[in-house]
Amino acid sequence: MAIERFLQPRASSWMANDGENVDIAMSTRIRLARNLSDFKFPYSFSEDEALKVDKEVSSVLLDKAHELNHSFTHINIQETPKLQREVLVEKHLISPYLANGTHSGSVLLSENEELSVMVNEEDHLRIQSLQSGFHLQEAYQAANQLDSLLEKNLSYAFHEKFGYLTSCPTNTGTGMRASVMLHLPALTMSHQITRIIPAISRLGMVVRGIYGEGSEALGNVYQISNQMTLGKSEYDILQDLQNMTEQIIHQERLAREAILNNSPLALEDRIYRSLGTLTHSRLLSTEEAATCLSDVRLGIDLKMIKDMDMSILNELMIFMQPAFLQQYAGKPLQPKERDVARAKLFRERLNKENATYEGEEFA
Amino acid sequence: MICDQCGERPASVIVKQKMQGQMTERHLCHVCAAENHNLNFVFEQDPMAIHQLLSNWFPKQQTSVSPVKKEVAVCPSCGFTFTKFLELGKFGCATCYEAFEPQLENIFKRLHNSNFEHAGKIPASYGSTLKIRKEIEELRKLMHVSIQNENFEEAAKFRDEIKELNLQLEGGVPDGN
Repeated sequence: MAIERFLQPRASSWMANDGENVDIAMSTRIRLARNLSDFKFPYSFSEDEALKVDKEVSSVLLDKAHELNHSFTHINIQETPKLQREVLVEKHLISPYLANGTHSGSVLLSENEELSVMVNEEDHLRIQSLQSGFHLQEAYQAANQLDSLLEKNLSYAFHEKFGYLTSCPTNTGTGMRASVMLHLPALTMSHQITRIIPAISRLGMVVRGIYGEGSEALGNVYQISNQMTLGKSEYDILQDLQNMTEQIIHQERLAREAILNNSPLALEDRIYRSLGTLTHSRLLSTEEAATCLSDVRLGIDLKMIKDMDMSILNELMIFMQPAFLQQYAGKPLQPKERDVARAKLFRERLNKENATYEGEEFA
Repeated sequence: MICDQCGERPASVIVKQKMQGQMTERHLCHVCAAENHNLNFVFEQDPMAIHQLLSNWFPKQQTSVSPVKKEVAVCPSCGFTFTKFLELGKFGCATCYEAFEPQLENIFKRLHNSNFEHAGKIPASYGSTLKIRKEIEELRKLMHVSIQNENFEEAAKFRDEIKELNLQLEGGVPDGN
């Protein structure tokens, strides 16, 4: 049963290199948008209604979650300090929109963080399911089970013709956004990605960079997701996304091979320079760290760098972000101070795990 | 000429961009041009496109209709007008879907590759209420036929059945299971 999977501790699910594409597909996410039929949507409801929605959804979820062998923690966003909200955003557990919300909102998080429900984001409910690696079906199963549990106890806004009614017409229908996070360094280096992106958008799907707002895809990490929510079943949407993602992964592998064949030394040089930067810098910006992380990750995938655990890189990708650094430091940090803290974080984490590198490079 | 973006390398590419009717021209080096290319494709996709699509929806038809344009649909529940929906790109409540229904088919077709009807999951509870509602509708028709035929005994039977189903609906929805 799919549910057994979600009861495993988070650490093991990250390490569980199951599936052959876990090196390129970093994580999978399903989001379901739902609204209650008895309340106006968040763009027009009153604070009083917002409170009622929060109360109703939270009490149902906290009361019934044991039926799915989950326990949820209720976090009221307005009562959460700004920095902690940002940490949740950096972990992708809540959206920036919810974090900066003006009316009462909250997030309910499952013990392993794989399931969550945002209350009073753009819709009354945003059910989210997160899985490491490339697991669209499993992630959907988890979200769907939670959705079915909630719908038994809440009255959803549903229309015979239009399906689940949402604030944004781009979500109407299934209310589902499925996405896979992909690390595509070779397609980026070879500029093929700029041809792939428009081609995909014609097929009802979207590819975009995910880290760093308004800049290029930071760290060569892209997110591919379905754009269409109306006219296709959840199953078909997931199948299309699955097929498209597999094709992109295949293209990335071909591009990696091509680079490896054409300029192996240049590639190896780049990867080791990046490793050097991460393990020895004294000032490290987010952009530089993301670029170097991407190179090192590629180095591990191509077996150029051995004895380094990918999961540390996954963690660092999250922990190197501004709010996390400040949370760790226990105080606000100016951008320059963050660069110092970030460099220190990388030196400590990477050199501790890979003590040999330091000695070798100084020899 | 030096690149507009990095201010370092010589510009070798002219990037012309049309945004909201305004043409901008930038001189970029090959490095920045490549980056920019990527950037635009990646980030101009989703929210802007929808917003623009919706805001471009009405004006042309609207201006030509001139004085009698007061008949813009208004949602009776939340007060959103169709125009506000287009500006914001968001619905105010579930009733908006009913209020703006005549125009929605075309909008959804544009947003969802020519689709405008849901083909996915249906809430279990909704499935059963839907059935009851359809049954009631059917019985009402039968009742009217009976009345027209002056078969009042039969009509009373239908009326009682409808009453019972209505009770089920009222009782069934709030505590679902």
